[in-house]
Amino acid sequence: MNVARAEWFKLWRKRRIYILAGLYWVIAPILILVVARIIFGNVGGSFVNEEGIVDATMQELTSPFGLARLLLVGPGYMSPTFYIVCVTLIAALLIGDERSQNMWKTVLVVQPNRVAVLTGKVIVAMLALGVLLFGAALAGGLFGAVGTLFLPTAVGGGAWGELLGLFLLQWAFLLAPVLLAFLLIFVVRSGVLGVVMVLFLPSFLEAIYSVLSTIAQLQPLNRINAVFQALRLKNAWDALPQYFFTANLYAPSRAPAQSLASTFGAELGADFGSELGPMAGLLGTGITLPHAALVMLAYSALFGALLYLTFLRRDVD
Amino acid sequence: MNAITATNLTKRYGRTDAVSNVGFEIASGEIVGFVGPNGAGKTTTLRMLAGLIRPTQGRAAILGKPVPGAVLGEVGTMIEEPSFYPYMTGKQNLQHAAALHGGVPPQRIGETLEFVKLENAAEKKVRAYSQGMRQRLALARSLLWHPKVLLLDEPTNGLDPTGIAEFRESLKQVAATGATVLISSHILAEVEKIVDRVLAIDKGALRFDGTLSQLIAQAGGQHVRYSVRAQDGPALMQALRDMGYEPVEAGADGALVDVPQAEASDLVFRLASAGVRVTSATPSAENLESAYLRLVGVDGKPS
Repeated sequence: MNVARAEWFKLWRKRRIYILAGLYWVIAPILILVVARIIFGNVGGSFVNEEGIVDATMQELTSPFGLARLLLVGPGYMSPTFYIVCVTLIAALLIGDERSQNMWKTVLVVQPNRVAVLTGKVIVAMLALGVLLFGAALAGGLFGAVGTLFLPTAVGGGAWGELLGLFLLQWAFLLAPVLLAFLLIFVVRSGVLGVVMVLFLPSFLEAIYSVLSTIAQLQPLNRINAVFQALRLKNAWDALPQYFFTANLYAPSRAPAQSLASTFGAELGADFGSELGPMAGLLGTGITLPHAALVMLAYSALFGALLYLTFLRRDVD
Repeated sequence: MNAITATNLTKRYGRTDAVSNVGFEIASGEIVGFVGPNGAGKTTTLRMLAGLIRPTQGRAAILGKPVPGAVLGEVGTMIEEPSFYPYMTGKQNLQHAAALHGGVPPQRIGETLEFVKLENAAEKKVRAYSQGMRQRLALARSLLWHPKVLLLDEPTNGLDPTGIAEFRESLKQVAATGATVLISSHILAEVEKIVDRVLAIDKGALRFDGTLSQLIAQAGGQHVRYSVRAQDGPALMQALRDMGYEPVEAGADGALVDVPQAEASDLVFRLASAGVRVTSATPSAENLESAYLRLVGVDGKPS
């Protein structure tokens, strides 16, 4: 608790946390409302809205529920995602700063219990991410309510319980990247390098898979794809993307994309019903939440074990 | 019970021994100087005592309990360059350390800031602090929880003479409370003004453990060099030669002369008995630095 209290104290004295919160809670909803108002002003009274499609879109995206949902979904589709940016910046503050400011030699004497130090830092990182996420849900609701003053939206409606559940799940899933960020920043002994690695390493490894996968399917048989075929690993190899870090990490935030896509594309909804078919891969919704939860739990356990082992054993410069 | 115990501490990096079989004991309340040239192994030893690095061999204990461990909560440290979170004020840095340690009453932060005379700069961001202010803030931080043991590594580095003198006075006040202090420095003139005992380390090995006078004696200080002045210079020279002392330097009204330790206290009396009117007789200060240099050799090689 001492470590968590101290780190919480430190966290809120760094400007970057306010910038992240400002971007997520204020700038993003305001921009969405401004863009929505411009779109509504341009096409709200035109033939486009004859069947009320613009009004429906506004309700889906900028009502209190819609805006809160958009603040969950949107960050998951950025590149790199806003979630991973938050994770790395907070990790860089909590772990990277100790290195860059040469503070380990002080911190680990003042609080020699290294398990407590690391656990406190992880708790504070998760608390900060929780504040950011649930603050976004609240901000979405508040700004959405403001939007009803100048947009054709209504305050009521929306499955808030389900949405908050997705926020909660997304927050819990962020434990794995937090542990990964702590691990990489501590291992490479550099906040900047660690941040870059967290942002790009998982996607880089997944891109290598795609390249290898393509090569393995080349015809005629060559030395590389022959190895895969000889080892009879094709099924496991094909199933690998189901266990990719990024694909599973953002499953909760991307889950509502399915209903959004159905809403905006009546034909799409009619064709696929609740299944989006080829759109699932594009939207990243082909992975179920229970599956993603298990995968992220495994990643968390792996990264957590590596992090604690490294942190407890390594000498401090 | 010893406040600090190092038993055969060894730290090996690759094939190089940064510290090799260093062992010593420091009793509660002692102020001990840890001297040696840069790269001698002082900081590595202190880091092992502070639990920051693990010894390759041997063990360290503070207040009888093994390090690293919870006993480090009784220790205050300043290891090398003082470091802080620059985006926080001096007071906030102390608040952070107090929260991290736990059990520090809020008023203690004000007390320590006042003790190191930083109360007027408490609300300034640390990035705006001078080197001297950072050193004092580091001392304040190390004192927050009334530590029983202080490990100070080159605490006066980068301070001007006034800062050094102020720091020394602060340290004396801390020592007066009964805290055990192990202070490392390569500025030996500084250490000798504070310490009761000296540990001398060179090339990772402990070369000496004892009091300053023992170090001087071991380093070959069998003679005391006196600067003697008299009203009649030639008479002084003659008397010294009659007593069997050959002056190292001779002037119009005085001389420098090496006198055996055993005869030093009688020098003035014997000169007066010989009819020399001595106006002053001052033993030149055989200090820690000269004794240490004799111990290890000017070039760092053992003499």
